[in-house]
Amino acid sequence: MLGYTLKRIAQLLVTMLGVVTLVFFALRLIPGDAASALAGENVSASAMERMRDEMGLNEPLWFQFFDYMRGIVTLDFGNTIATNLPVADMILKALPITLIISVITIILTVLISIPLGTLAAYMAHKGKKALDNAITWCAMVVDLMPTFWTALLLLLLLSLGLGLFPASGKVTLDDPELLLKRIAIPIIVMSLSQIATLARITRTAVLEVLNEDYVRTARSLGMSEIVVVFRHALKNAALPIVTVVGLSFGNLLNGTVIVEFIFTLPGIGTLLVNGINSRDYTLVQTLILFYAFLFVAINFLTDLVYKKIDPRVQF
Amino acid sequence: MSNQEVLGTRTGKLVNVFSRGRIKIPALHFLVSNKKAKWALLILVPILLLTVLAPVLPMQKPLETNVTSSLLSPSLEHPFGTDKLGRDILSRTLSGIQISMMVGFSVAAIALVFGIVLGTISGFYGKTVDRVIMGVVDIFLAFPSLLLAIGLVSIMGAGFVPVIIAISLADVPRFIRLQRSLVLSLRTRTYIDAARTVQASQLWLMRKHIIPNTIAALLVAASISAANAILVEASLSFLGLGIMPPEPSLGNIIKEGQSYLQTAWWISTLPGVVILMIAISLHFMSDGIREALDPRSRK
Repeated sequence: MLGYTLKRIAQLLVTMLGVVTLVFFALRLIPGDAASALAGENVSASAMERMRDEMGLNEPLWFQFFDYMRGIVTLDFGNTIATNLPVADMILKALPITLIISVITIILTVLISIPLGTLAAYMAHKGKKALDNAITWCAMVVDLMPTFWTALLLLLLLSLGLGLFPASGKVTLDDPELLLKRIAIPIIVMSLSQIATLARITRTAVLEVLNEDYVRTARSLGMSEIVVVFRHALKNAALPIVTVVGLSFGNLLNGTVIVEFIFTLPGIGTLLVNGINSRDYTLVQTLILFYAFLFVAINFLTDLVYKKIDPRVQF
Repeated sequence: MSNQEVLGTRTGKLVNVFSRGRIKIPALHFLVSNKKAKWALLILVPILLLTVLAPVLPMQKPLETNVTSSLLSPSLEHPFGTDKLGRDILSRTLSGIQISMMVGFSVAAIALVFGIVLGTISGFYGKTVDRVIMGVVDIFLAFPSLLLAIGLVSIMGAGFVPVIIAISLADVPRFIRLQRSLVLSLRTRTYIDAARTVQASQLWLMRKHIIPNTIAALLVAASISAANAILVEASLSFLGLGIMPPEPSLGNIIKEGQSYLQTAWWISTLPGVVILMIAISLHFMSDGIREALDPRSRK
């Protein structure tokens, strides 16, 4: 286990080094440079040159690259172009909102989709097609609904129509009640698509296991259906489910960007979209790197869990 | 399942058709005989026809404004209603579908071509070539797909071509991986060894024996990739990073409707239904191809 973990960490570091390099050089492809983005158009050539000197843009490329790497290792990402605040501070300030939405979504997803998928599989196994078909169909349609469209539909229905949740209002961590009301619809939106994906996977995985010989053996030994389904079937179906929970984190991160944008929540997704619109490349590159780090780290943890719950898995 | 098993079934015909490199009647037969593929066509063909015929149909042009018909609800004259500027939403939606379809199919085509070429090279040659290609693939797969596209669009600027490039760059690595894994499983088959013993060149092996046997699985992935690309394009345009107004795209029509959600619900909701229908039918298509190829998955 330790050897495997170390090997995976080494692989991860190589990949992340590649990610950082890619982001660094991709930014050098932008027409104009950071100095001209910062200065705007009405700046004399000599002032611009001075600015380039200050920002280190006149140094050789390899020097800039190492300087950049040093910044990442020491968590000093520089200041944003637009507001001249430290990027790290801005991200830390926006992070809690995004984390709260994501964590609640994951909990809801696991709590709802696994029983739902198992139920569908059980019904399919028992030949009761109607309920299985209903769940499978709903899951497929919900899975394919564009996140931003679902968000607008729910906004129209729950907020503007029924008046259950406020559509606007300043979100701060100091006011938990308003915070919860404001993030309710975003969480429902993201949970819906996550639940749909995970319920489908759970159904397939459990259904496959329910047809195994050892399930029949368990039944023939007189075990109750509950024990058969939960202890024998679901437990053995856990591997694909864990993999998908891990992989769907990517979709979750994608989703946070969209719901934060629609519901004007001050998370890192909103920070990213605003950063792009104000051409704040320092902020944007750091955020994209941050998302990649998060995604890679989560996939890594998924791998470890996978290995932990299935001793048969050899690498 | 070995290849010999597949050859006897109707599925086998499909594989054969692809392996000869031309699409003949059996492929068409499959499209109307498979239930899911048939449903997919029943949804897609009318939408495509409407989109293509839109310029000659008697309706307002997508960019034509008309202040007297501002924010009209759906009616016979304007089936999808109108927006603030009196533009016809159905006409704008059809124009948006055109962009969606072009993005979807371009991305699927780019992903297929690059996926097949690089994936085959990676799987077939192995060693250093494989390590380099897979290293780069891993780097791209380290980004959540929409975020990679957002990052790339922020560098290249918004617009039709950047959107296609951005979405493709997020999709190509997945196709390379898929093709590589298929090639790896085919490489050690007996019929490849047999071909080797009669001095088949590497290029011949790849072109005649490997790629034809992987293409069907890639087509399954490609139709999902097209659906996905359409959703990502809509998301980018919605965020204001894709196709820019006044040029209509499904994403930016929905975005423009957000301000009028309460007074004119039709602007945002109806184009979304269209995206959903296209996505569902492309997934049906992919299921249809899969079912045709793998008889075990038929219910």
